Order: sequence, then C-alpha cells, then structure tokens
Amino acid sequence: MSNNLDDELRRALRPVDPGEEFAQRVVARIARDSTVSRRHAIARYQWLPAALAASVVLGFLTTHDWRMRHEQQGLEARKELLEALRVTGAKLDLAYRVLNDEARVSANGISGA
Amino acid sequence: MTEAEECAPDDSLSRAIAGESAGFAMLVRSHQRSVYSLALRMLSDRHKAQDLAQEVFLQLHRSLAVIESHAHLSFWLRKVTVNRAIDRLRREPKYETVRLEENLNLVSDARERDPLLQRRLRELVGRLPPAPRGVMLLRFQEDLDPLEIARILDMPPNTVKSHLKRSLAILREQVTAFMGPDGTPSEPGPSFTKRDQ
Amino acid sequence: MRISARKLALEFIALMAVVATAMAAAPDVQLNMPSFDSLAAKASDSVSITLDSALLGIAAGFLDSSKPEDAAAKELIGGLKGIYVKSYTFDKDFTYPTAEVESVRRQLAPPLWQRLVGVRSHKERANVDIYMAVEQGKANGLVIIASEPREFTVVNIVGSIDLQKLHKLEGKFGIPKLQLEEKK
Repeated sequence: MSNNLDDELRRALRPVDPGEEFAQRVVARIARDSTVSRRHAIARYQWLPAALAASVVLGFLTTHDWRMRHEQQGLEARKELLEALRVTGAKLDLAYRVLNDEARVSANGISGA
Repeated sequence: MTEAEECAPDDSLSRAIAGESAGFAMLVRSHQRSVYSLALRMLSDRHKAQDLAQEVFLQLHRSLAVIESHAHLSFWLRKVTVNRAIDRLRREPKYETVRLEENLNLVSDARERDPLLQRRLRELVGRLPPAPRGVMLLRFQEDLDPLEIARILDMPPNTVKSHLKRSLAILREQVTAFMGPDGTPSEPGPSFTKRDQ
Repeated sequence: MRISARKLALEFIALMAVVATAMAAAPDVQLNMPSFDSLAAKASDSVSITLDSALLGIAAGFLDSSKPEDAAAKELIGGLKGIYVKSYTFDKDFTYPTAEVESVRRQLAPPLWQRLVGVRSHKERANVDIYMAVEQGKANGLVIIASEPREFTVVNIVGSIDLQKLHKLEGKFGIPKLQLEEKK
C-alpha cells in the first residue's frame, strides 16, 4: 500500500500550468513597478552628502554586526525550543495512541467473547 | 534536477541578471508550473495562488543578483513560495473550508488512472496543517528528498521525516476509509462548507 | 488485580490533568544524561537539545506571538527551568544496547521519581515510560523515555509544564490535524 500511495500522490500532485499569459503578466508588472521605484530612489537620496552617508553606513555596520550575532543566537534557541516541544508532544501522543489502541483491542476482545 | 533545469537554455539566467526582459520571461516560463502548483496546493485558491506566484517572481526579479545557478534558482523559488504560503496560511482563520465546487484541485488530467482517488488525495493534502502540507508537496510534487526539504523549510531533517510519516499515516487511513473494503469509493465524499468566521 | 487497558487510558488522561495542575517551580530535577555513544554511532540522524533557564529566556524573547506555534510555545514554557532532549533515528530496526538507557532509568528511582505511565504496544512495537518527580507534594520534573523500532528518545523537563496543553497541540509542532466537516 505504501508504494501505491506514494505513486498515487505523485500522480495527484503533478504540477499544473497557471496559463499562457502568466509570464507576460509578471513581466508587465515588473515594468510598471520599476518605473515607480526609480522615481522614488531619485527623490530619496538626492539631498544626502557623500561624507555624511559614509559615516552613517560605518556606524550602522558596527551595530548591525552585534545585533546580527545576538539575533542569530536567539533564533537558534527559538528553533531548538520548538523542536524540543515538538518531540515531547510527539512522544506523549505516542503514549496516548498506544493506550487507546490497547483499550480498543481489549474492548473488542471483551465484546467478542 | 527538474524538467525546467534540464531544458532551460543556459543563457536565460545570465540574460535575466543582465536586465534582459526576454531572458527573465524565459525563466518565468521555465518555472511557473512548479511555483504556481506549490502555491495552489498550499493555498487551495486559484486567485491567491496566481497572486502569490506573481509576487514570488517579482521578488526573484529584485533578487537576481544573489542567484548563482539554475539549481540555486530552483531551490530559491521553492523556498520562497512555500515559506510565503505557510506565512499566509498561518495568518488565515483556522477552520476555513472550501466548497467542493470551488476546489481547484478538481483539475484532472487524462493521465490520472483514478481521478476520484487523486482528487481525494489532493483534498486531503490540502487539509494538512501548513508545515506538513509544505513537506508533502515538496516530497511528492517536487520529488525532493528529506534533506533538501529540510534546507528549504529551515527545519531539522527529523522534523521533516516526522511530518512525512504522520501525514502519510493519516492519508493512508483516510483513503482506506474512502475507498471501502473492495477498493472502490464506498460513498460520495463529504462536501465542505465555509464556516462564518 | 488485573487492570484493563481502557482503565489505564482513562487514568492516563486523569493523570495528565493532575500533573497539569500540580506541577510548580521547585528544586531542579535535571538528569545526568549519558552521551548515548552506542546509539549515536548507529543513528542516521540525531537530535541533542540543551536549553537551560538562560537559553530558554533568550528563546522566549524571540518567540513571535503573532505566529500560532510561537504563541503556544510561549504559553507552555512559562514555568520551565530547562528542557533536554536526546533523540536518535535509525535506517533500520535497531535493538538498543541497554547499558546507557539503564543508566537513565537508575536515576528515576523512588522516592523522588514515580512512574506515571508505562505502555508497551505490540502493534507499533513501541515502549513509552513517563516519570514525574515529586518533592513535598509538588511535581517539578518530567522524563519521557520512548523507544520505537527506528527511533529512541529521552526528554527531561525541569520545572512546571502543562502537559494537557502540550498533548492537545494537535496541528502544531508537527502533529498533523485533519478537519473534515461532514455534510449536514
């Protein structure tokens, strides 16, 4: 059954096409969006002197580096926590399932006697 | 490698990176089936899937500079598509269900040997929670192995295997109940009605 | 006296409710976990998680309440002081060497530790034991030892955790949920 199910799933989930004009719509939207963002970019940075920009970037990179490391540690801890809770829940689920199976078997045994 | 990776001309990626619109359009056409189908089966809604698929390609256009190869492109597209879909699903109401008539998984194919069973399977996959659903689609639609799926979803490989194992067990149980003892559908499947949220 | 499995199942549910209400922060009951070298050597995958109270605090700071999974985790870990997991997966059915597993069980002796649940499934060929640490009438630690043909896991929770909430997290943390509404 296992291999049949796998094969049936592959057949059932064969990719489907979004339609012939999908690519054209994407390209048209890109053309539209890039016209708008070019205007914004020019307006935003026209006034910023080069020296000021350089010092702002340097300060940002230093703080950014520390924040990145702290964030990395925190995200890693979060990932581990979720995995630990997942494993714990799965094993409790296993115990519960085993108990229910045994209960069902013994109930069938009693009723069939 | 997907069909797109095998057939895509080598220069489409470099042309797209160079800013050539025709090159980018070729990339879209090469990968649109995969991206759209992942979005469709994650979101179970044609309009939302079109929307998401478009957004993914828009994001690709902005991120072309980081794409190193066709293989990396496939990885990137799958990662962005599935993770965005999961984020959207997690923001949606918990119990929204879909009328059978609206269910776009009714798209059938002359190659389907058993259209009822395969429609049922699509419905059941579409009912899984977001993360296991993503894992199942990457495994059975995209034919990826658990390690590749783990990289795409940023998930430990054991979690991927656990999702596969549990989801297949549930599908197997539901399909057996659906098919009945003699292997034919024993009764019409349930219809799903929208609950007011 | 023979106790039916059905009664055991009902008692398990009742015990989870008792543990949920009774557990409170109290002295640590962290196990001395072996390295499980004999299992690691044969495993195709292994998970080793060590989250003491400091790391739990850091993790909690990165949980996003807008995400259901993170919100559920935040609710669960309020009273936790530590969570330690060792899990090994094998490519084929594996008979575990017992020495290291026994070194864990030897730490779970009365009067501090009580075995809440010990189930053996012939169908799934799985064994699960759940132990609780009780001090001065309060539960403050939990250990789960689960062995399946291709997976072995030990979980040690230090502090208070609501097991009913954890068990009921169907649909989160990788426990699939299937909501099918019958036509009325």
